[in-house]
Amino acid sequence: MSVVQYVEGNSLLHRLDPRAKIIMLTILTIIIFIVENFLMIGAILLTILLLWWSARLPMKTLASYFKFLTGLFVFIIVIQGLFYSGEVILVQPLIPRWVPLIGGLGKISLDGALFGILISARIICLICLLPLVTMTTPIHFFALGLTKMGLSYQIAYTMTTALNTIPVLQNEASVVMDAQKLRAFRVFEEGSFVQKLKAYPALAVPLVIGAMRRAQLMGVAMDSRAFGALKRRTYVEDIIMKPQDYAVLAVFAVYCAAVLVGNFML
Amino acid sequence: MSEPVSGKPTKGEPMIKVENLWYKYPRTKKYVLEDISFTVEKGEFVALMGANGAGKTTLCQCLNGVIPNSQGGKVKGRVVVGGLDTQETPISKLAQKVGMVLEDPETQLFTTKVKNEVAFGPENLAIDPDEIMKRIAWALKVVRLEGYEERPPTALSGGQKQRLAIAAALAMKPEIMVLDEPTSQLDPIGTLEVFSVIQDLKEEYGMTIVMATHKSEEIAQFADKVLMLHEGRLVKFAPPREVFQDLELMKLTWTHLPQISELILFLRNNGISLKDFAILKDEGVAMVKEALAGKAGRVAS
Repeated sequence: MSVVQYVEGNSLLHRLDPRAKIIMLTILTIIIFIVENFLMIGAILLTILLLWWSARLPMKTLASYFKFLTGLFVFIIVIQGLFYSGEVILVQPLIPRWVPLIGGLGKISLDGALFGILISARIICLICLLPLVTMTTPIHFFALGLTKMGLSYQIAYTMTTALNTIPVLQNEASVVMDAQKLRAFRVFEEGSFVQKLKAYPALAVPLVIGAMRRAQLMGVAMDSRAFGALKRRTYVEDIIMKPQDYAVLAVFAVYCAAVLVGNFML
Repeated sequence: MSEPVSGKPTKGEPMIKVENLWYKYPRTKKYVLEDISFTVEKGEFVALMGANGAGKTTLCQCLNGVIPNSQGGKVKGRVVVGGLDTQETPISKLAQKVGMVLEDPETQLFTTKVKNEVAFGPENLAIDPDEIMKRIAWALKVVRLEGYEERPPTALSGGQKQRLAIAAALAMKPEIMVLDEPTSQLDPIGTLEVFSVIQDLKEEYGMTIVMATHKSEEIAQFADKVLMLHEGRLVKFAPPREVFQDLELMKLTWTHLPQISELILFLRNNGISLKDFAILKDEGVAMVKEALAGKAGRVAS
């Protein structure tokens, strides 16, 4: 299941106007960067998870994000702890004294570790937030939403095509890897990290060349159908902001205000 | 509603007129098309043949103005389609004259619903949504995909995808349809589906068809003329019957004959005298039957 693939459904999120979703996505992204209060970032994460659940998006995908990012979070927390000076020291020294030369070096500060946790929380919020929009909005409505918000339709189309290309590339990558497996190439399954690193060019080159070829062909097909010929185009499936969309935006505004107040007051 | 908009070329003008066309791609030295001249009349079905690399795709793209309008490169000579010079007319205008279907069913479909796919072209031309809806219904009917409006194109079979690509081109109401090896990635059933739709376009809607293809059987059955390319040059432009009898040309261009023609040749080479040459199954079978009956008669007497 790809991050950006539309998941059929009829939840409130599915039914919202793409413009409302894009507005909320943008504002919430900014707020995630502003908020420093643990309770509030926790509340945001909880909201996102609840929305994820209410839209019946695949929980497996969500779990895979957490699993995938754990290593990164540990890294961030340790690095922040090391370089962020603070009064309270959690671990000292980081490297045991018996290690020659660098033994006894490094200390993890509480403030640093906390800051690391905050950054990690922000990252997981951002990563779980985007699919709430992309997985509940058919891609052409997403593009239409952007266009109606003033973006030129060529740019909107470029963006959505980029999103659309991700699953295609994932597909192609697995085809290439299968082809490699057929010739007894097992590095991606059981090789060491260095071996895998060395094996990537053999995967990336056909992928990139394939993508370029594909893009060129797609360009010919789009040209042949007069894409970009006129400044304005029409749409058979239009989007209209409904009362429901405004109501949701109003609730969202209150929510944002509450989060910000909570952030600065608590 | 049932017919494409009638063309504007002055009376007596052919639908497609190519005059001394030379073309080379940007950043290359060799011309991929060399001095090509031919004309196609309204309602004709021309098959473009030739080995891979002979210039079929390039010639197809010259006919709808993608070359040189968006591909660049160097063009000498003139291409006039439906009265419009491709070098002077923007692609948006040409797209309403010439519909294009490509080889790969995947890369030419880029929306999430069959309906949107067909609407894509007319939307780009800023046509009124009500009119587009009518065109969608019409185009899907022509390619026999009614009822598929809400399906995702990715869920269609190869033959259905190519028919959808044809519908998407049809929705722009072109008078000419250019198809670049539309059946090369299809199974026999998909191929037949596509050809039967093409035949309808020609016979019911009087469209002019140019199709690059290797499928000799279908060419023999449906095409009015074959345009044979070899290393960027036009080496023959004649009805299929004439082209398939030119055995030296077949050898030179690595072209397969229809199976029935192969059989006729084989029988001839093995001492069975046949009056004529055949490219269609029925005529070939009749001819062989007659010859064998005659022979049997002679043997019996």
